[in-house]
Amino acid sequence: MEDIKKAIVEFAESSKKTKFYFKDIEKAVQKVIPDAKMREIKKACTALINDGTLIYFSTGSSTMYGLKGRGMTEDPE
Amino acid sequence: MPFEPKEPQKEIKYSEMRIYTDEELNNYTEEELKNFKIKHDIPDLEELEKGPWPSFVSDAKQGALHRRKLADDRMLIDRDVIEDMLGQLQVSFDEGETHWKHGGIVGVFGYGGGVIGRYSDLPEKYPSIAHFHTIRVNQPASKFYNTDFLRTVCDMWEYRGSGLMNLHGSTGDMVLLGTTTEQLEPIFFELTHELGQDIGGSGSNLRTPSCCIGKARCEYALYDTQALCYELTQYYQDELHRPAFPYKFKFKFDGCPNGCVASIARSDMSFIGTWRDDIRIDQEAVKAYVAGEYVPNAGAHAGRDWGKFDIQKEVIDLCPSKCMAYEDGELKIDNKECVRCMHCINVMPRALKPGKDTGVSILLGAKAPILEGAQMATLIVPFMKAEPPYDNIKEFIEKVWEFWMEEGKNRERLGELMQRFGLPKFLEIIGVPPAPHMVKTPRENPYIFWKEEDVPGGWSRDIKDYRARHKR
Ligand code: SF4
Ligand code: SF4
Repeated sequence: MEDIKKAIVEFAESSKKTKFYFKDIEKAVQKVIPDAKMREIKKACTALINDGTLIYFSTGSSTMYGLKGRGMTEDPE
Repeated sequence: MPFEPKEPQKEIKYSEMRIYTDEELNNYTEEELKNFKIKHDIPDLEELEKGPWPSFVSDAKQGALHRRKLADDRMLIDRDVIEDMLGQLQVSFDEGETHWKHGGIVGVFGYGGGVIGRYSDLPEKYPSIAHFHTIRVNQPASKFYNTDFLRTVCDMWEYRGSGLMNLHGSTGDMVLLGTTTEQLEPIFFELTHELGQDIGGSGSNLRTPSCCIGKARCEYALYDTQALCYELTQYYQDELHRPAFPYKFKFKFDGCPNGCVASIARSDMSFIGTWRDDIRIDQEAVKAYVAGEYVPNAGAHAGRDWGKFDIQKEVIDLCPSKCMAYEDGELKIDNKECVRCMHCINVMPRALKPGKDTGVSILLGAKAPILEGAQMATLIVPFMKAEPPYDNIKEFIEKVWEFWMEEGKNRERLGELMQRFGLPKFLEIIGVPPAPHMVKTPRENPYIFWKEEDVPGGWSRDIKDYRARHKR
């Protein structure tokens, strides 16, 4: 769990983008930890949301994740 | 079986939670409404009020006048929100462009859905709607409300939001339209902690499941739509509130093929009640319909004189699979050809009833036309029992989700993924054998192909044996 969380944060910090689909996070984590299961990655994302590291970004129809304070503001642009 | 809530239900003291007095709620006269002008000119919107239907513009004006007359300390967001919303809408009519900005990080703590960020891109001109977020409230199964509950929600929303709401568009939820970011957490707290009311789904998650009125009032219900809707809503809370799907996913539940919630057109996974055995016929009642003693369609089309009931013309000839006959005063149905369309049962409900071996058909992949065209659902499971604890249904759901989450691209709906893979491949992956029911016209549609392992002897042949019978 901790290493998955670490991989998520490292990916989010190093990427040029500021918002990620869950699938992109899943792929990035599995590159570092090949046997990480989708459900574990989802649980790690939820834990990072709950401790305030990650935040959700939603258009209403689809949802993305981002690091709090990194390029994600309340303003949709 | 009586209703068993999943969690202990606390008594809600509605009277203590009400905010406004009756005088405050009815704080203007008809005369004042007639003379009321909002602060912006809205000529095109006022055109909309002239049609034969009730207009949202008229409703919004009532809300605007009501807010004008409330005391300053009786609302927590700007008094002018409704007037500014109408003003901005008029600008969109003038320019043919929307001025709402989509999306944002607004939400309530721990939830990834249920709140939809909306901002005005003309905040200088319409400051009160600079933030105008939407909240989706998870509607109860079949949308039965207690009026005390509705009044309390309306009060809360008048106080902390715009007071504008729409009840039950396609999403199902009760939709609260327009509040500021600061109000989101207090609203969430009051809904969940005080009213025992969860918010609904939005974004890439399971959307608020919705069902027809089912066994609560409808004798056609072939399974308990409310029970299944409630069970799956509770069981899949994580999927509802913590989005990790490629895109949105909707369940809808129709108790029978009449399809009152139109699940076949509006949900990624549609559950429609059906039966496996024969339609039950009361021949005496059939005769009574033929003799004109019972009104057909339970009187539903009685507003005009259609002449004497003609069973041949109104039932037998309209059966889509032509599997009925009325001969010598006896109605016959060739049940193996019946496609469960409900027509004959709807026309003669006192004479015909669905069979007793009931369950659901599960159809997958309907969607609205956002990316590709609109699509109706495809029948995937012709029949499954639907009884608590619904383990068979949950197992199927999870197989479908697993495939979609694995193979689906970002923003690809299940129906689009099924198209991309093709039905035969999709069936193989989720482990459902092909059946003629899945194809609209089975004798004409080469949807399902034989594979070598399905054919005795495979594709190979003994060439010598063949040449013995066929000259080169
Ligand atoms: S879908 Fe069928 S069971 Fe449900 S309310 Fe409509 S007629 Fe009744
Ligand atoms: S339910 Fe429809 S298909 Fe079946 S016998 Fe009646 S009319 Fe025909």
